[in-house]
Amino acid sequence: MTAVVLDGIVLGLQFGLLGVGMTLVYGLGGVLNLAYGQAAVLAAMVVAITLGDGAPALVATAAGLLAAAAGGVVIDRTLLRPVYRLRGEHRVLLGLLLTLGVAFVVDGLLLWRYPTGALRLAIGGEAVPILGVRMRVGSLWASGISLAVGAVLWLFFRATTLGRAVRSAIQDEVGARLIGINPAAVRTFIFALSGALAGLVAVTRSMTSPVSVTAGFDFTILALIVAVVGGLGSVAGAFLAGVLLGIISTVSAFYIGQYITTIVLLAAAALTIVMRPRGLLGRQV
Amino acid sequence: MTAEPDAPVDADAAPLGVSARPPRSLARAYWPVAATGALLALVPLWLGEERLMMRLAVDALVFGLYAVGFNVIFGSTNQLFLCVGALAGLGGYAAVILTEEAALPMAAGLVLATALATAVGGLLSWVAVRRSLGVIFTGIVTLTFSLSFANLLLGQRELTGGETGLVVSAGAGFLEDRIAAYYLFLGMLVVFLAVFRALQRSHVGWAFRALRDNELAAELAGVDVARYRVYAGLIGSAMLGITGAVYAHSNEFISPSTFAFGHVDVRVLVMLAFGGLGTLLGPVVGTVVFAVLDEILVDTGQLRTVLYGLLIIVLFLGFKRGVVPAVTDFLHLLARRARSRVGRPS
Repeated sequence: MTAVVLDGIVLGLQFGLLGVGMTLVYGLGGVLNLAYGQAAVLAAMVVAITLGDGAPALVATAAGLLAAAAGGVVIDRTLLRPVYRLRGEHRVLLGLLLTLGVAFVVDGLLLWRYPTGALRLAIGGEAVPILGVRMRVGSLWASGISLAVGAVLWLFFRATTLGRAVRSAIQDEVGARLIGINPAAVRTFIFALSGALAGLVAVTRSMTSPVSVTAGFDFTILALIVAVVGGLGSVAGAFLAGVLLGIISTVSAFYIGQYITTIVLLAAAALTIVMRPRGLLGRQV
Repeated sequence: MTAEPDAPVDADAAPLGVSARPPRSLARAYWPVAATGALLALVPLWLGEERLMMRLAVDALVFGLYAVGFNVIFGSTNQLFLCVGALAGLGGYAAVILTEEAALPMAAGLVLATALATAVGGLLSWVAVRRSLGVIFTGIVTLTFSLSFANLLLGQRELTGGETGLVVSAGAGFLEDRIAAYYLFLGMLVVFLAVFRALQRSHVGWAFRALRDNELAAELAGVDVARYRVYAGLIGSAMLGITGAVYAHSNEFISPSTFAFGHVDVRVLVMLAFGGLGTLLGPVVGTVVFAVLDEILVDTGQLRTVLYGLLIIVLFLGFKRGVVPAVTDFLHLLARRARSRVGRPS
């Protein structure tokens, strides 16, 4: 049981980071980015290719994250501009449809060029016993990185000017503008951050199981579930929801079965929307 | 969230069209339905010899039927049902399982399967309305339903055959002929379109237009928005369910991918957006154009996905209201010009 829960936490921390990237973009841009998972896959493919060219793992990872972040910026600066001119539901709907188009384009291009592409970061070393459970080194690395990035994000949003600017723009765009914050610049930054986070999760996932070129849609759905359960726009909520759903997911996979697990996760999202649309920690919507 | 304060808010730029009133006279209201039926009835004369082409034509018609059902739900009342494939699959699998496992007669299986899809769709609509979920949350909830349904199909192996699918042995014999199947689905399309037109002309259509154009105003004017949304959910889901059920019987084989989200919903959404949301002929135009497009792009493999993606982007950025409204506007403009030229002494 401990092993299952620990595995759940490992998974959940990554779910959390994945959800944060989705929830930030929604909170700030009002866009549910359906091409989010494609950013993760893009990063994974860039890492796999640069690794194949003999680059060290750190450099390859950096290249992957940069590529995903750049992708986010390009989408924000070009395609989504007409979206930001709309308001309310029209805005979300058009954003949804355009990013869906982007998802298809990226998926199609990647599948066309690298039909069997997959990233698997093998991390050697003896399994380490934690709480009497032998944890694989890859899992520990993945959790360590997720925790560290989570902590950095938390500090960033609490203690830096840019982080506070982001939070104020999420809360009230007009107010943020009045105190001299440029919401468009903040938004571009958030798109870059979100792309990099997606890429990072793809990299940490690949330490325990391969990330294939077709995984984009699954990443997107997962991020959507986590973001919805945590409350759209809430960073802490996404993290909390990620860990909870991670534990639920491994426990139910262990005791009930894999396919029920997916349904449990989906049901969690549906129930959250129906019972408590603002999610665990979200603001009133 | 709020838009940038200095940004112009353009209500017309929304990807949702504004529904025009249907013509008053019976002949003018229904002639497009009859013309569609007559034109599409000629297709087998042209392609009838080629079995593969007829198979494609039948599949295209089935997507047209899905698109009409989705048009009732999303196009008319703004409920983003991302479970078109799942509702059709519910109908399809239920019809096959009821006739194969429970040994019901085919007609009873079809009726029960349609009723099941109708009930589920209506329930989804009711929940969305009661909890006033809005477009996005309705979309997410119905998407989770879609994905759960797909997982159930994979998981309930002994009932659904899992990934390998079900062979429909008790299929209706005459439907094995593709031309017969084509005319059956064409008949369904004409009936669906006639139902859609009848709805548009009735008080239901009046309520649909009111709540779609401005929900709050409709509510204030005394339109029971919730009730009419659920009506749309029920009618559209019934169309999807029966289409899925009949398709399952005519296809001799169904699998989760037959009704998969990525296969059905995305395509139906793009087809309808291309043709024009909420318009009578939008689904037909979308169906024909995408059937032809598929044939042209058949050899492009993965690049087809890329082209689809680009098409979605261009469509929603450019033709926000679809082809049918754009063409109608253009014709109206021509007519007005012609009239003013006649009226004015030169």
